[in-house]
Amino acid sequence: MTAPLNTVRALTCPNCGGTIALRAAGNTVSIICEHCGTTLDATSPDLAPIAQAQAAMQRPEIALGTRGSLRGVQWEVVGYLERSDSYVTWAEYLLFNPYEGYAFLVDDGRRFSLGVLLTQLPGYTGGSITVDDVGYTRFGSRYGAWVKFVVGEFYWRVAVGEHVLITDFVRPGTMLSCEESDDERTWTKLDLLDFGEAETAFGIRKRRKSYGGTPAPHEPSPYGNVMKEALIIGVVALVTLMVIMLMGGQSAQIASETFDVPLDGVTKTQVIRQIDLPARLSAVRIAARADRIDNGWVDLDYSLVNRATQESFDAYATAEEYHGVTDGESWREGDRTPGVKLSSIPAGQYDLVVEATGHLWSNTTFPTAFAGSAGDTTPVTIAVARGGLFIGNFFLAFFVLLLWPAIIVLLHLGFEQRRMAPVTEDDE
Amino acid sequence: MIDATCPNCGAAVHFRTPALPVKICDYCRTTLVRSGEVLQAMGKVAEVPEDVSPLQIGTRGKDGTGFELIGRIRMRWSGGGWNEWLALFDDGSTGWLSEAMGRFMLLRAMPYAGFRTDAVRQVRDDEPIALGAEATIDGVKYRVNDVKDATFAGSEGELPFSTPADTPIRSVDLMAPGGECASIQKDRGEVSVYAGRYVTLAEITATNVRAFDGWPLPSFAA
Repeated sequence: MTAPLNTVRALTCPNCGGTIALRAAGNTVSIICEHCGTTLDATSPDLAPIAQAQAAMQRPEIALGTRGSLRGVQWEVVGYLERSDSYVTWAEYLLFNPYEGYAFLVDDGRRFSLGVLLTQLPGYTGGSITVDDVGYTRFGSRYGAWVKFVVGEFYWRVAVGEHVLITDFVRPGTMLSCEESDDERTWTKLDLLDFGEAETAFGIRKRRKSYGGTPAPHEPSPYGNVMKEALIIGVVALVTLMVIMLMGGQSAQIASETFDVPLDGVTKTQVIRQIDLPARLSAVRIAARADRIDNGWVDLDYSLVNRATQESFDAYATAEEYHGVTDGESWREGDRTPGVKLSSIPAGQYDLVVEATGHLWSNTTFPTAFAGSAGDTTPVTIAVARGGLFIGNFFLAFFVLLLWPAIIVLLHLGFEQRRMAPVTEDDE
Repeated sequence: MIDATCPNCGAAVHFRTPALPVKICDYCRTTLVRSGEVLQAMGKVAEVPEDVSPLQIGTRGKDGTGFELIGRIRMRWSGGGWNEWLALFDDGSTGWLSEAMGRFMLLRAMPYAGFRTDAVRQVRDDEPIALGAEATIDGVKYRVNDVKDATFAGSEGELPFSTPADTPIRSVDLMAPGGECASIQKDRGEVSVYAGRYVTLAEITATNVRAFDGWPLPSFAA
């Protein structure tokens, strides 16, 4: 075994005489001197200069030669370039490890992604493309991008102004980027790194964690998981609510009385006593039944009176039934069994005062009279039940329960809209 | 193992397998071509320039059966260079571990495969080959992703053929959706087809890799 070799070789820039490092000998084709920006041909023995600096020298945020571990692999920064489409500029660091080869650390200014070249062709199924049976959706149209600035060493002949056409395909957290030049088409798979992951690995200042502005095309919605949770919790809560309301809402009849109501327009007062409401607040359902009413109606005024406080809760119902024949068609309408509900009745002993007024409608003499002959009556049954499903309360609870999921869904949709905005604008 | 003496410098020469006729003398870098018991010197080849390849002569790996790297050819083209490592498998067969841009293709010669595909015919007839062109080799549908005109830049160890400098070689790389890859090469009028797949050093559990100062050996190689 030979002694461990140093991967870094010191070279002298033939243009400025500065010392530059060669970190991936054998792979590196172009070196851009970090002092004077001259592009040197690493495949020629004397590092022949190929191009003069075309942009003012810059220092990448992560210095060349910096080592950092990302997802279990140690990488060394060997190259840095800035690229731009006509809208935005982003930075790409070329990372090298002698056993792992190359990777790209892409910095969009907000978040970092780690990219590797695919060693397989993506498949196409039904409009989306797949890699390892995972589908990616096309993000916008193909766009041109060119190199604005470059420094360090690269395994290809890099040059400022170098132009490629890029097509992006995304799924949450991952982007597939297809780059086409005249003589090559490469596919890069970019995994979005967590906030702070790359900064910690390479020892630079942490970016502010922010979901504002324009998200990365492959940025998963930060509300996605919360949204799923909120929707699941919302549905569970709704089901629970229904079960509780159906069980707790099972009504228990506590009083029932049948009495005859005259049909001559004279009010009959009937008092149903001893209505006991033990719960702190109760719902009370008053159901009337006037089965035998025939072309007539009974107005029912209810007053649920607390025996102790004389507090009164009032309600009103009409039991009615009409039928006849018009133009040879027989018809029938009206409700003989109207029900009313009173909610939130405080605990106590109550009497229900029913004032019933019956009328007959004479269809034979229509429209002359509402009449009734003295002595005609109809039996009316009033049943009082405790509990009962209050659909109004149900809807109130429904909206309260869905408020949180709805807010999250709106946030999520807002994020997705901002994520898709660069593409949507393209289409206009 | 066949032992002999370099007719040029007198150094001991070992052939690991009788199947390979060429060996570069480790000392004087003369190409030695063996035919029967006779060793013939065929001129010197350049030393492979120092690089940071993790592979070296003696690196072992596994693809079903184990193999050892016993030879290397350094290729050069206008856009850079790459290494072709000759792998001698434990069953006596050979394959190539092709190393470019930090990526590895493990390839085996396909003596009768693909000769009816257009890409192979185009390489044979020196016709232009379109990037993205389809080619079916041994039942796998590939696409051409790279066409390079190269020369031998240096070599070492045992090889199936000699590698004189300035030999023009056309090299076409192909890829497939399943991670398969293939290579079509034309060297001195002869077309060879190789097929295999992209591998990582972890996948072939490479051992006896080179150690680099300051770089921890990967867990599979330690």
